[in-house]
Amino acid sequence: MGSELIEACNIKKRYQMGEVTVHALRGVDFTLYDGELVVILGHSGSGKSTLVNIVGGMDQASEGELYFRDRPLHNASENELTAYRRSEVGFIFQFYNLMPNLTAYENVHLAVQIATDPLDVDPLLEQVGLIDRKEHFPSQLSGGEQQRVAIARALAKNPRLLLCDEPTGSLDLPAGKQILKLLRDFCSHYNKAVVIITHNTNISYMADRVIHLKDGLVEGVKENSEPLSPEKVSW
Amino acid sequence: MLFRKMYRDIWSNKGSYLACLVLVVLGLTTYTSFSISSDNLELSKEIFYREQNFADGFAELTAMPYRDAEGLAQIEGIDQVSGRVTREVRVLYPESDIGIYLKFVSLELDNPDRVNDARLLEGNELRQGEFEVWVDNQFYDVHGLELGYVLEILAGEKAREITVEGYAMSPEFTYPLRTEAEIYPNPEQFGIAFTSRETMWNFFPDLQGRVNNLAFTLEEGTDFDEVKDRLEPELEAYGLINLYSRDNQTSHLILSEEIAQLQRMAFAVPLMFLVIAALILYIMLKRLVEQQRGQIGILKAFGYSNREIMLHYLTYSITVGFIGGLLGGTAGIYLSRPLNWLLLEFFHVPEIDVDFSLYYFVLGVLISLGIFLAAGYQGCKYALKLKPAEAMRPPAPVSGRKTVLEKIRLFSSMLTIQGKMAVRNLARNRSRTAFLFIGVTLSCAVVVVTWSLNDLVDKLVFYRFEEVEVYHARVNFTEPVSRQPVERELAEHAEVTGVEPLAEVPVRLSHAWREESVVLLGILKDSSMYIIRDAAGRRIEPSEQGIILSERLAEKLSVEEGTSLKLASPYLRDNEDEQTVEVYRVIPQYLGMNAYMEITGVEAILQQGKFATSFMVNVGDERINPGNAEDYWDTNDFREKDLVRANIAGLRDYYRESDLVAGVDGTEEQIRETRELMETFGMVIYLYVLIGVVIAFSIIYSSSFIILSERNRELASMKVLGMTSREVFSVITFEQWFISFFAVLAGLPLAQAMMEGFSRELSTDLYTIPAELSAQALLMGALITAISIWIAQRFALRKVERLDLVEVLKTRE
Repeated sequence: MGSELIEACNIKKRYQMGEVTVHALRGVDFTLYDGELVVILGHSGSGKSTLVNIVGGMDQASEGELYFRDRPLHNASENELTAYRRSEVGFIFQFYNLMPNLTAYENVHLAVQIATDPLDVDPLLEQVGLIDRKEHFPSQLSGGEQQRVAIARALAKNPRLLLCDEPTGSLDLPAGKQILKLLRDFCSHYNKAVVIITHNTNISYMADRVIHLKDGLVEGVKENSEPLSPEKVSW
Repeated sequence: MLFRKMYRDIWSNKGSYLACLVLVVLGLTTYTSFSISSDNLELSKEIFYREQNFADGFAELTAMPYRDAEGLAQIEGIDQVSGRVTREVRVLYPESDIGIYLKFVSLELDNPDRVNDARLLEGNELRQGEFEVWVDNQFYDVHGLELGYVLEILAGEKAREITVEGYAMSPEFTYPLRTEAEIYPNPEQFGIAFTSRETMWNFFPDLQGRVNNLAFTLEEGTDFDEVKDRLEPELEAYGLINLYSRDNQTSHLILSEEIAQLQRMAFAVPLMFLVIAALILYIMLKRLVEQQRGQIGILKAFGYSNREIMLHYLTYSITVGFIGGLLGGTAGIYLSRPLNWLLLEFFHVPEIDVDFSLYYFVLGVLISLGIFLAAGYQGCKYALKLKPAEAMRPPAPVSGRKTVLEKIRLFSSMLTIQGKMAVRNLARNRSRTAFLFIGVTLSCAVVVVTWSLNDLVDKLVFYRFEEVEVYHARVNFTEPVSRQPVERELAEHAEVTGVEPLAEVPVRLSHAWREESVVLLGILKDSSMYIIRDAAGRRIEPSEQGIILSERLAEKLSVEEGTSLKLASPYLRDNEDEQTVEVYRVIPQYLGMNAYMEITGVEAILQQGKFATSFMVNVGDERINPGNAEDYWDTNDFREKDLVRANIAGLRDYYRESDLVAGVDGTEEQIRETRELMETFGMVIYLYVLIGVVIAFSIIYSSSFIILSERNRELASMKVLGMTSREVFSVITFEQWFISFFAVLAGLPLAQAMMEGFSRELSTDLYTIPAELSAQALLMGALITAISIWIAQRFALRKVERLDLVEVLKTRE
């Protein structure tokens, strides 16, 4: 197990929805290490997206403490969170969120521009198998291809942590598998932490660790001594 | 329920709707107030003209027996004739150090139905032959006069005392200017006085039993030109100086022009505002409908008809149009009153209170509703085409494409990724880009033109003092005087350091059938005080043989350099004679319309010996060259200024009792007076600059918001990548600055075109507005537009800062 990357203690998150207070997270504790692939599993409403948003610096906890390599994030300012996202975190979403009027290459380059220690664009596109399509715009790419561009974009910044919110949610099985393989490769080759959020239990078989979330609480943590290779995952 | 939806939609985007509303309100305020004011002024003018029996034609003569004047009514086409005695006199205020003049005009007290009657506003009737006077109301107010006040004037060789019996106004002097070289009435220094004919004869024995001015009305349906042909020969023998119709009467000309201008503005300014507001609303609604296609699908699936849905989206624009109409109309009604007062400050027309307000109010609301219905329909007609199932599906993904511009290697390599996004977005949303472009262009042009006009008015007024008439004071005479003895006498004063004569001769110049009555100025060949300049500002020496004409005069006579002209003048030895002169040069002249010659040339033509009508004098330290009056009067050498002032006052004192000296006019006083008068106009300039700012602001503001709502996903993605709000926002601002740069460039030729339009529209015989844009105006236009854009962007930036990343990115497009 690598060194400690994220430490979350008693994270709580409340939303005010009109007159009702929603308790999205009720006190979550967990730790994340360099080089591990973690799947956070839970049904919709379990609080998994909220947790990832907080860990990724897109949102802040109402209570509790969160550290990135001993750096406190729970009381970080907006600017500090931006800097954190900029240098340490890569995001991948279900709906890709690419810039529609930038080519594949340019989308990745957009991330390179702001990173302190970026990776080269072409090798990344090579790695995700899109080097021949790098001048294509998102509307000219399939869903799987778009998600691969999104992955290349997230990796380009050379982040320590990759957060993926239902990355295969909109894809068919072969395309989904390709994505999962890329994530696993990144984790192993570069020794980076990857967190995948999903409600799909089958995906959890490829994780080093699985965190079960239910009603805003950690229901259980399971370590896979022999994680499945992504090619063998099926749903 | 749908109403509530509309209310919330509007509320959630209140900034943009507010910008729209402000434009509508401004537009309708201008429309209502300007329309009411111009109608009021027009009606006041018409009623005033009718009630005071305003003349259709005028003639200025050397002198004509009164009885002969009465006989002119027999001429076919002439209805009534009034023979009048008019003279300018100096008012002797013991406490005043400036020259104050009253133009005396005789009234036919024995004729109850007199032409050009003055309307007594307060006071007592005048009596024939008594030393009683009515003065014009502005002069009365400005000088704080009271009924029964005894004015001391210098009239016909003597100081006289005359009692103010009342104050009055006349249709002939709704905009009283002392000379053609002025643009604003200046009641501080010049007013109109009405008295009986007998009194005038008493004051001016040289005119005893005679008149020097005619005002006449025409019989119904008679053409002035026909009467002119019949009247002219009759008047030649009496030294006809000028015979002109009402259309060429100064006050009438300016008043009518002002009304026409108000009417044009009442149309053009609101149209500009409403069109821009409608464009903004159109784009917003179009966006809203696209954004709400899912909701529209659901409504249609429920069974809502196309008409109901259409009506729902139309209520957005109707609401803005209606509220804007109500607010703007109401504000306009309230503003029309101060606007009327402002106009009445300048035009001496009786105030009438006619209620046009409701008419324009209702019309304004209807116009606004009409424009917004059209804009609303165009904006949301897309909703009609959607089939329910299709509407509930997401729209086809936005396709990206490289732009033609990017094929240019150099350009492409200069662009950052954000720059590329911006350029491609501009190319994709062409109608919105056009809207942004047109808006910024217009806004910049409005500011540039306004600023230029401001500079030009300055130029118009001060060019004369800075470049042409460069002397400390001018000594005016009541009649032509022998040149050399008077020049010697003036030069003998210890304080006078320089003297030059000036001969002002009324002439009638004709070429073919064209004819113009103007003042011919005779100037010394090597004058250092009256400098004639060509368009480039180079000095031109007057010629002894040839005549120099102002551009407008040359244009009106349709002559050019080298053309021969016929010249007639009551000052000619034989005043029925005509002389031929050749046009020597044509020069620009902003104020008035004159002809120039070397003074000896004028004397040779008139064959009346050496004479002058006024003298220009310098009374300061000889070492200071007043050649550049602006610098000179702005100098901080107070000692020198005080000396000049004291010397002018001394000269004035010396000639206070002289019957020959009509007055001593100090240049500095004139500059100061004019400057004070012009301050009122500064307000109008700021108003227009504000219009430019509002346009630029609302366009950039609403365009930012549309971009934000349309691309919040992209922007949020960038934020998640780790870009700061500013970096993200720079994509939007790059787009706006990029297009604004070209828009401002395009604004300059547009401003030039607008300026040429203004020049054509506003130039009259009294003043010429050159179609020039000043460098400062160009700079200000660009700067003010840029500042408005920058401020509008600051507001939009706040929205980027508050962008909810989680919410935006989780939802499917």
